[in-house]
Amino acid sequence: MTHPTPQKRSILWAAVLLPSLCLGLIFAWAGGVIGGDTLTPSHFMALFHKAGAPTTGFRRAHAKGMCVTGWFEPSEAGRTLSKSGIFRGTHLPVIGRFSLAPPMPYLADNPAIARSLAFQIRSQTGDDWRLALVDVPLQPIRDLHDALAFFGSNALDPITHQPDPARTKAYADARPWLRTAFSQNAQRAVSSGLEDDSYNSLDSFYLTNHTGKKTAVRWTATPLEPFHPAGTPSEDDKNYLFKQLIRTLNQHPLSWSLTATIARAGDPINDPSQPWSPTAEKLSVGTLTFTQAYSEDEKGCGPMVFDPTILPSGITVTDDPLLALRSSIYMHSYSTRAGETKTPSMVTSHIIASPTLSTHEKGQ
Amino acid sequence: MSSPTHIPASGSFPKRSILLHWVMAALIIATLIIGLSIAHHSTIHYAGLFTLHRTLGFIILALVLLRLANSVTTKHNPSLPATMPIWAKYAAHISHGLLYGFMLALPLVGWAMLSAGGYPITLWGGCHIPPLIGYNATLWAQLRSLHSCLAYGLAFLIMGHMAAALFHGFIRRDGVLKTMLYRR
Ligand code: HEM
Ligand code: HEM
Repeated sequence: MTHPTPQKRSILWAAVLLPSLCLGLIFAWAGGVIGGDTLTPSHFMALFHKAGAPTTGFRRAHAKGMCVTGWFEPSEAGRTLSKSGIFRGTHLPVIGRFSLAPPMPYLADNPAIARSLAFQIRSQTGDDWRLALVDVPLQPIRDLHDALAFFGSNALDPITHQPDPARTKAYADARPWLRTAFSQNAQRAVSSGLEDDSYNSLDSFYLTNHTGKKTAVRWTATPLEPFHPAGTPSEDDKNYLFKQLIRTLNQHPLSWSLTATIARAGDPINDPSQPWSPTAEKLSVGTLTFTQAYSEDEKGCGPMVFDPTILPSGITVTDDPLLALRSSIYMHSYSTRAGETKTPSMVTSHIIASPTLSTHEKGQ
Repeated sequence: MSSPTHIPASGSFPKRSILLHWVMAALIIATLIIGLSIAHHSTIHYAGLFTLHRTLGFIILALVLLRLANSVTTKHNPSLPATMPIWAKYAAHISHGLLYGFMLALPLVGWAMLSAGGYPITLWGGCHIPPLIGYNATLWAQLRSLHSCLAYGLAFLIMGHMAAALFHGFIRRDGVLKTMLYRR
């Protein structure tokens, strides 16, 4: 073998090793090992923990909840708006989950806390549609940077173990573009329970019909129950809102009309923090009916992920940045919690079986 | 290029093998980079990149199967040079086997984990892939971790494979690198 000079040898070795090392650097950068980016899923997951999410198998947000089952009866309006097989079916099976929005799974019911409804509708032809809706009218977050700051501002005070209102105020004050969202959310009519509440998608979606016409919509599940304003929270029973829902379901089925608010020209499609024109047309695409309650510790909605980007053909995501974020973060939450050992949910099978309101359970 | 003391590797791979090798190399590196990016950076392009990741994954799965069939049916694959120490030959065979194993396992695990998680699997263009296994949330969590471990393993294997190939090309100059560069 001809022996290259030491200088030439080192060049040759560089040619052998550098390409791999460069590729390694690209991998490391893509994998977030180098670069110091804070806008990452693991950062969001860390913020949920600071805001009170335990590591015992619960969703990192909307942790306290209960499952329901029922069906969806689509309307003619749904078929005109979207070619989805969902709207061509009848009596489609639905799995739903009512929840409180914070990341703490053992939270005492209080009407002041944002409530939510998530559900999955399946069609006989294999369509799978998941929606995750909340009862506030606007999202106090415009983009990914807002989201990071928003969840950061939910951190619990290390001494009081409560969210710090000063942080929320600082978040709001620094973002004049969220003024409408904060004021509309604060002024909303708060309902008495989970059964007479309206739930909104906030994010927008496109519907495409058989002629190829595309319509941008926001979803609202509007209760068929009459609205009652919220009373003062029960001091005796930390599950009284859920028990009230179970007791009503034991008496009669509960229905919500699934309403599409149709965007007018100029309505912001990609910004869930801004309202649409008050005159925007609203069409009911069907009725959702729930008949049975289950604890999420039983089979059903417990493990299920209600990723709002799981859509049947005929419904697609918009370029709303928060839909992209939610899809990614829900997956991280789902894969993390599904690998943990779960402690029992607060709304147990026992409570479902006997939802009597306790009257002297102070400090339960 | 070949020095007197080194007997060059015999011949080279057929054109179709060379083409498959480089197309797959590009696709796999791209899929790794996209996978790492969407798992570790929050981006407004998540849906598009994730769809691309799944689509490339399934294309790679089809190509691995094609490539395995091709390598079994090709009669005269070049052999490693006789001057290579026996342990190095073993290392080469084992690492090539591992590369195949990881290339095959990664998309299969990706497919299985989304099935177990209850996610519908759609590819670019709307093509719908049926679930590989049934819904099982615990299994979803385990397969999701396995997908990461396999992906990191494949990334290191590729880096090692690149360095070894270039070692043959620049230090040993035994013709091994050329067998995958062009048809002689
Ligand atoms: C901006 C970003 C948001 C982030 C980062 C976020 C995060 C999360 C996370 C981590 C979960 C738990 C997912 C799981 O493990 O299954 C969750 C659940 C949920 N989210 Fe969001 N969320 C966001 C916005 C929204 C919006 C705009 C809505 C509704 C309009 C919403 C409604 C829900 C509901 C209803 C659930 C509970 C689903 C269930 O019952 O399983 N989220 N969210
Ligand atoms: C050869 C093919 C593939 C390669 C090289 C690959 C590679 C990767 C890598 C490097 C990651 C990031 C892992 C981490 O850092 O945690 C990843 C994540 C992922 N991959 Fe793959 N993958 C392949 C095929 C597939 C297929 C076929 C599917 C699904 C059908 C899939 C679904 C996923 C999912 C769901 C994630 C997680 C994304 C997230 O966290 O947001 N992969 N993949």
